[in-house]
Amino acid sequence: MSRLKEVYNWFERRLQLEGPIKEAALHPVPRNTASWWYVFGSAAMTLLMLQIATGILLAIIYVPSGGEAWKTLDQLNHQLYLGWFLRAMHGWGSNFMVAVVLIHMAQVFMFGAYKFPRELTWILGVFLLLMTLGMAFTGQVLRFDQDAYWGLGIGASIVSRVPLIGGPLVHLLLGGPIIAGATLSRFFALHVFVIPGLMLLFAGLHVWMVLKLGINEWPMPGRVVRRETYIQEYNEMAHKDGVPFVPDALWKDLFFSAGILVAVAVCALLFGPYGPGGQPDPTIIQTAPKPDFFFLWLFAVLSYLPPEMETPFVLIAPAIGILVLLALPFVAGVGEKSWHRRPVAVLVLITVAVSWGIFTHLGVHTPWSPVMDAWSGDPLPQKLVHSETALERQGAVVFQAKQCRNCHSVGGLGGQRGPALDDVATRLTEDQLIRQVLQGGGNMPAYGKNLSPPEVNALVRFLETLKPANRPAAVDASQEAQAQLGK
Amino acid sequence: MNARQFLSGAFLLASLVLTAGCERFPGYPHPGSEAMRPDEVTDFSRLYSQNCSACHGADGQYGPAIALANPEYQAIVDDNTLRSVIANGEQGTLMPAFAQSAGGMLTDAQIDALVKGLRQRWARSGYLQGADVPPYKTDKQGDAAHGQQVFQAYCSRCHVTGTQPLNTGGKTKTSSITDGSYLALISDQSLRAIIIAGRPDLGHPDWRNAQPGHAMSDQEVTDLVAWMASQRQQTPGQPYPAQDETGRGKKL
Ligand code: HEC
Ligand code: HEC
Ligand code: HEC
Repeated sequence: MSRLKEVYNWFERRLQLEGPIKEAALHPVPRNTASWWYVFGSAAMTLLMLQIATGILLAIIYVPSGGEAWKTLDQLNHQLYLGWFLRAMHGWGSNFMVAVVLIHMAQVFMFGAYKFPRELTWILGVFLLLMTLGMAFTGQVLRFDQDAYWGLGIGASIVSRVPLIGGPLVHLLLGGPIIAGATLSRFFALHVFVIPGLMLLFAGLHVWMVLKLGINEWPMPGRVVRRETYIQEYNEMAHKDGVPFVPDALWKDLFFSAGILVAVAVCALLFGPYGPGGQPDPTIIQTAPKPDFFFLWLFAVLSYLPPEMETPFVLIAPAIGILVLLALPFVAGVGEKSWHRRPVAVLVLITVAVSWGIFTHLGVHTPWSPVMDAWSGDPLPQKLVHSETALERQGAVVFQAKQCRNCHSVGGLGGQRGPALDDVATRLTEDQLIRQVLQGGGNMPAYGKNLSPPEVNALVRFLETLKPANRPAAVDASQEAQAQLGK
Repeated sequence: MNARQFLSGAFLLASLVLTAGCERFPGYPHPGSEAMRPDEVTDFSRLYSQNCSACHGADGQYGPAIALANPEYQAIVDDNTLRSVIANGEQGTLMPAFAQSAGGMLTDAQIDALVKGLRQRWARSGYLQGADVPPYKTDKQGDAAHGQQVFQAYCSRCHVTGTQPLNTGGKTKTSSITDGSYLALISDQSLRAIIIAGRPDLGHPDWRNAQPGHAMSDQEVTDLVAWMASQRQQTPGQPYPAQDETGRGKKL
């Protein structure tokens, strides 16, 4: 034992780390900050470490060249023992990290923790968020499959819209005029050296400030932050009613971080690695590329924007968003911290969260884009086909052959560009159906020139069978009048 | 935590990881789960469900177009016909052409895979052997006038003729098989195939059971199709000139 002690002392005399570490570990924090609400920051740090560890292992196998990348991922999935698990951990680790960083940020915002004197901590945090997203995007590119290819294409076309320097910027981003091997090397360098290096530096400073400035106290309505008095008040609180950071506050962090790691592993085991999807070959047109989960909302927003709004939106909105985040601690650096007294902050957070959720949902289902192989792939409900006459059944063939199904679902299958047609016969009469088919309108193409009269006839007879058995078909005024007369 | 607890914990973890390696977890990516180039897919189930099931039904039946999962149909049709129909579609009908050479998306290898798969999945070897089946194709001229009598004898108990009557609320519907629009959309060859092989999924009988105990002859089938073809209209699907009461349309 004394031998060990000697070695320890030898190092300690030279490094002199014991003092600062002890001080950091045992510094008192306000008792109520040892709460489950405060665990997200450390969980983000843990996930960063996980990503670095799994990332290093992946980099041993991965070859960042256009021809090899896809193959090495395939090799990881199938030939290397647990290679697939490693990929899955890294992929799910990334998802969790984006989520945890966002939750951490929302919590800091809600608790007013960005206010004096923690402005710089928040600003570094904003950059850490941007870098996390940068890692998620560059990581998706390294997968170099179809999603990556088209994701890059969209990224490049966004960049190309920057006034004046758009062209050269794209060249810089892609390492040439097109997406090729050089592009991959660039993103490899970004993903493996540049961004992680900066991230470690920023995260180090971020944690350093958390230790130095103390963990934000639990916000109480009426306890107002003032520049002149805050530090003194905080120190009093921490010393009078404080607990040492280790172990009183830390154990919850450790517990939660461990839980997050288990959750990542469980997701990895259950859902497996991401792709790689199809090979990045622009001649393959039977593809519906989608960005990774986190960028789905952006995908949806861009799809809904009118074309003339796109450029201003993609160039100006992110800049404004980042500026707002950076300016926040300077605009609202003092005052109330409690959410009970900050209704605007609460509303902003709810609005952002709800819109994000809605856009992500839309991004998952992409109701705006037709399902290109529904016409030949999605069967019609058996019962429907069975109960039809020969003419109606032929109308169903017309329905499929003319690709109506790509935009309209029946029995839950098909596109969502137009309304589901399961009960269209209760809404529209024969005449209205004929008009809709021939003239289209409201984002539906007019089929008048593309259907022969027997096709229209069969199709409409088929559409008239699309209703639940227990509901009456739509009738118009003249039919109603005729029915009245008959009585 | 004592040593035993620690050891059993470690054992559990190790076995977890080992089984993870052993590909038992749902997340394990099975070979081929990575998206292939779409033109390299030669798996029949996948090709069929992406390209055919919308019209021919999920399992080759209950689709709006002819049932391919009918062993009788598989017994009368030959590989070349299948291949050429899939590759080039059927002119004048809604069966699309799938070969890349004909503007479709499938390679020749994929079309071969489809033909092979159709056979493997739905043909039964030796089926209908020895039975007196009218051939899939015929060169004989049909006699339309006699065909009408064939219809009366074999089909009229289940089908009507002329313009398809509108369904009047709830009552069971009867198909007209000479509705002008219907006939305009379906080929003679397809009618012949349906009459011979039936549509077991829909309850339409094959050539032996239209009149139970009395199979139709090749000539009868040919005449029947000729009669149905003679009911085709010049301007189908349009209100003028109307089909008359007897259901006889203006001849082409
Ligand atoms: C490009 C996508 C697209 C295609 C293809 C398409 N539709 Fe539509 N359809 C729509 C949209 C969008 C609407 C809604 C129009 C509106 O709101 O006025 C619609 C509306 C309809 C309606 C009215 C539904 C209602 O409840 O009011 C019918 C019926 C219809 N389509 C039938 C068809 C048929 C039949 C075809 C094929 C011949 C077809 N559609 C092809 C997009 C499409
Ligand atoms: C858009 C609907 C549609 C799709 C998709 C479609 N078919 Fe067809 N198919 C038809 C119709 C309609 C017919 C009958 C054509 C006729 O009247 O002769 C037909 C006929 C056929 C026939 C010949 C039947 C006979 O008369 O002997 C074969 C074989 C066939 N289809 C196979 C396929 C295969 C295999 C696929 C997938 C690659 C496919 N079809 C996809 C609509 C379709
Ligand atoms: C036992 C009753 C029965 C007899 C007899 C019968 N059919 Fe059918 N047939 C059906 C049923 C049921 C259907 C499917 C439902 C429908 O279309 O009404 C059908 C459908 C059809 C279809 C449409 C098939 C499709 O793919 O859309 C044709 C064509 C047809 N029959 C022709 C004939 C001809 C020709 C005869 C005489 C040789 C005949 N049927 C005899 C019951 C019968």
